[in-house]
Amino acid sequence: MEMMDLFIIGIGTILAGGFVSMPLPERMKSWVVAFFTGCGAALVVYVSVIAMFAQEPISSGYVLSYPVGTVTLVIDKLSAFFAMVISVMSFIGTVYAIGYMRPYCGKKNTVTSHFFFLAVLVASMLAVTAVQNVAAFLIAWEVMSLSSFFLVAFENEREEVYRASINYLVAMHVGVLFLIGGFLAAAYKSGSLDFASFTAVFGENRNLANLVFVLLFVGFGTKAGFIPFHTWLPKAHPAAPSHISGLMSGIMIKTGIYGILRVITLIKIPGVEIAYFVLIISVISGILGVAYAIAQHNIKRLLAYHSVENIGIIGIGIGIGMLGLACGIAPIALLGFAGGILHVLNHSVFKSLLFFAAGGVYQKTHLLDIEKLGGIVKFMTFTSVAFLVGSIAISGLPPFNGFVSEFFIYWGMLKGLSAGNTLISIVMVVSFASLALIGAMALLCFTKVFGVVFLGSPRSDYHGAPSEVSYTMRAAMAAQILIIVLIGIFPQYAFAGISIVAKTFMPGGGTALNVSPYLATLGGISTGLLIFIGISAGLFIMRGILLRNRSVYGYKTWDCGYQAGNTRMQYTASSYAAPFLRLVRPLFSWHVHLEKPQGLFPKDAGFESHAEDRFERGIIEPIISLIERFLNAFTWIQSGSTQQYILYGLIFLIAITLWIMVV
Amino acid sequence: MLETVINILLLFILPFFFLGLINRVKSFWAGRQGPSIIQPFRDFIRLMKKGEVISTTSSFVFRIAPSVTFASVIAAGLIVPLAGGKAALSFEMDFILFAYLLGLGKFMTVAGAMDTGSSFEGMGASREVAFSALVEPAFFVIIASLGLISGGLSFEKIFTITRGGDMAVLVLPLGVIALFIMLLVEGCRVPVDDPNTHLELTMIHEVMVLDNSGPDMGFIVYAAGMKMIVIGALIANLIIPNGIPFWAALASFLGVTAALAVVIGTIESVMARLRMTHVPQFLLFMTAISVVIVSTVVLFISGGIK
Repeated sequence: MEMMDLFIIGIGTILAGGFVSMPLPERMKSWVVAFFTGCGAALVVYVSVIAMFAQEPISSGYVLSYPVGTVTLVIDKLSAFFAMVISVMSFIGTVYAIGYMRPYCGKKNTVTSHFFFLAVLVASMLAVTAVQNVAAFLIAWEVMSLSSFFLVAFENEREEVYRASINYLVAMHVGVLFLIGGFLAAAYKSGSLDFASFTAVFGENRNLANLVFVLLFVGFGTKAGFIPFHTWLPKAHPAAPSHISGLMSGIMIKTGIYGILRVITLIKIPGVEIAYFVLIISVISGILGVAYAIAQHNIKRLLAYHSVENIGIIGIGIGIGMLGLACGIAPIALLGFAGGILHVLNHSVFKSLLFFAAGGVYQKTHLLDIEKLGGIVKFMTFTSVAFLVGSIAISGLPPFNGFVSEFFIYWGMLKGLSAGNTLISIVMVVSFASLALIGAMALLCFTKVFGVVFLGSPRSDYHGAPSEVSYTMRAAMAAQILIIVLIGIFPQYAFAGISIVAKTFMPGGGTALNVSPYLATLGGISTGLLIFIGISAGLFIMRGILLRNRSVYGYKTWDCGYQAGNTRMQYTASSYAAPFLRLVRPLFSWHVHLEKPQGLFPKDAGFESHAEDRFERGIIEPIISLIERFLNAFTWIQSGSTQQYILYGLIFLIAITLWIMVV
Repeated sequence: MLETVINILLLFILPFFFLGLINRVKSFWAGRQGPSIIQPFRDFIRLMKKGEVISTTSSFVFRIAPSVTFASVIAAGLIVPLAGGKAALSFEMDFILFAYLLGLGKFMTVAGAMDTGSSFEGMGASREVAFSALVEPAFFVIIASLGLISGGLSFEKIFTITRGGDMAVLVLPLGVIALFIMLLVEGCRVPVDDPNTHLELTMIHEVMVLDNSGPDMGFIVYAAGMKMIVIGALIANLIIPNGIPFWAALASFLGVTAALAVVIGTIESVMARLRMTHVPQFLLFMTAISVVIVSTVVLFISGGIK
């Protein structure tokens, strides 16, 4: 059997899981979907691994009816990488869903459609990575957007969920408009809908290539969540069930990154100007994404803003890579793309881990507001450890995987610094400092979330002690922790794998590039981290031995002599973030509500502050209201009066009669 | 090999003398006799012999935080070249790992502080992370500029920059000033933080470890001293010319480190801590210096200034 058929069978198996689950009892649906996704994922991974190490991409053509025409399915190394990430992480997501969806079984009528669309989403994401034809690509893309819309709208009886899902649907279709525009511009010139035909067109006409790239970047960037196209993200993620947030934030938005990378492979050597364009947008997304995240109180909304930040980091890597290609300096390009692509994998693992852990907290406490949580570690130790690992990884700290991909990007930047071009040097220094700033801000944000939600004492009554989440949910998180640790401690193997993908961007497939010096350096990191882990363990054991026969007793936290401390006196997330947010005040539009204490014996006083994203208020809303005003000018056409509609019919008949008579 | 062994020994021994010397300088300015220079070592031994009181609010995070923080500083210290410009562990881009290991230590200290549920400790933690967010980018820019001059991408190679020439005259003193500000921030010294204050509300680092005691407290104090030695070593490497014999380098390294302790002690004796709202301005001064450094370097290298 041909490899490509195996790939299609894999996608088909996942899709079949959706259909098979439909008539089954609610409790079995999740198991069936997870089982079929697992089987399908295994096939897809098998094909992808072969494609990764094959000389030539696996490809095969299928003739379909008009308007699609011949669809070429190609699994090259880039597709194979994304297919692997998507299938493995989706499988972990469906395993998590088994436990997460249980409380909804029997209580909602949307469970059946939910599992069906879950299978459809996974299958469509895989299809997106393989099809190389504009029409088929857009169809797969649209199926992906629609199925995820239904998944977001799971609890549609809640007003905010309903609004968020409609917002998502609209944002996706605005994005698709740009995609259609970009693809058609290229297809019009090349005369074919096949991706491969674009390369020649782009090669002949630089300006067209740049225009198409910018249009497609906006379209794909809307899916990926680059600022200022990110506004749907912070709404959709809190609304969706947690495994869906994890899947969407971890994997689905990466199809946007896949699209951008695919366009770069078609352009071959991008112009310097679009490299700067990507780099600038990415730096802005990275810094503002994390700055907005710091101001959030809803844990899933906060994580959503962190997706914007991490997409920014991925974009910085891609931008550095493009700059390296544009200037013809292979090491910069290799490290930039390797960092960006590895961060795709890393982010998909730790972000879905964070969403899964947050989802576990939500399932047990029904709270998403950080200020109302606290002390979770005493009830749900495993979930807390999972969140801690995710937090350290997303802050880019060793010994976990987030550090590795950021390290590649830093490396590429420093190689670019000494490239001998003043402008490039300045750009590299600015992005270098920005990435450092992003890391430090992420540390602030995640010490806040982890400290406030998981540590300390509960800030509200949880209506009974929350228990640890189910075994399937724990298994899903454990698998992710394992990936995070392995990539983190052995970066040399991660680089060996990723460089295969990154090399495909190089002219001539990068066969001349020798990666062994990089592997030696990464071996140094690995040694350093193992030493660090050894010392940590040694110190902790030494502490245990020292304390073995001594008095170790518990006492209440030092309260400065004040005897009536209570849990509401703990430092809140808002206070924690305040010293920093005060420094970056102009980034937000603040809404402060202050009720001052009145009189000699004041009783009531209150203070509330909300920080809002300036882009939403300043850019997106004015545009929308302009469009609304324009469209409102036509409302008189649909007046609702029957007479008027009959008049339209009459006018139409007269007009058409006249036309026939005259012409 | 001998050099590496000596450097590792220095890493472990110097923190005590450094803290002791600072205290001696402060007592000199105050007209007191002052404690012995090895008093910090005696304090450390005393702490290691004690039991612990652990907050009942806390969890495993509080227990592992001091060990992990200390380990992160030790690992970072192995990457930095001390005397003679030789580090125990060196590879390309090692300074990224250095900065991020210190970041991990910060993460764990802060998590340990938040674990006690104390509002004082939360307050200190929030200040610590906000201030370090200002220092981090400047540090990266300075190291990148030095890397650009020397053409090397690891600590060992970065510090082999030539000391002569117009560019070095401008860049090296500025680099020393900027790294000294970083030393004050990371070491939690006046004017950013006051290690001797008795009011929890005004503390940064000390307040985060209010609830630690016994061996854990010992680790924390040791780590704080070692962190100062490690960042001080960056300054020493900028000042001390390379290519001199190891014993001379060792002597000058000890000299610079002692000088740093004297300067820190003097600053603490003659000025007060800045108001908390003015600290960010002080830290942005470091950012400003780093911008001047990088602009100078880029202009020089591209031939902008002749």
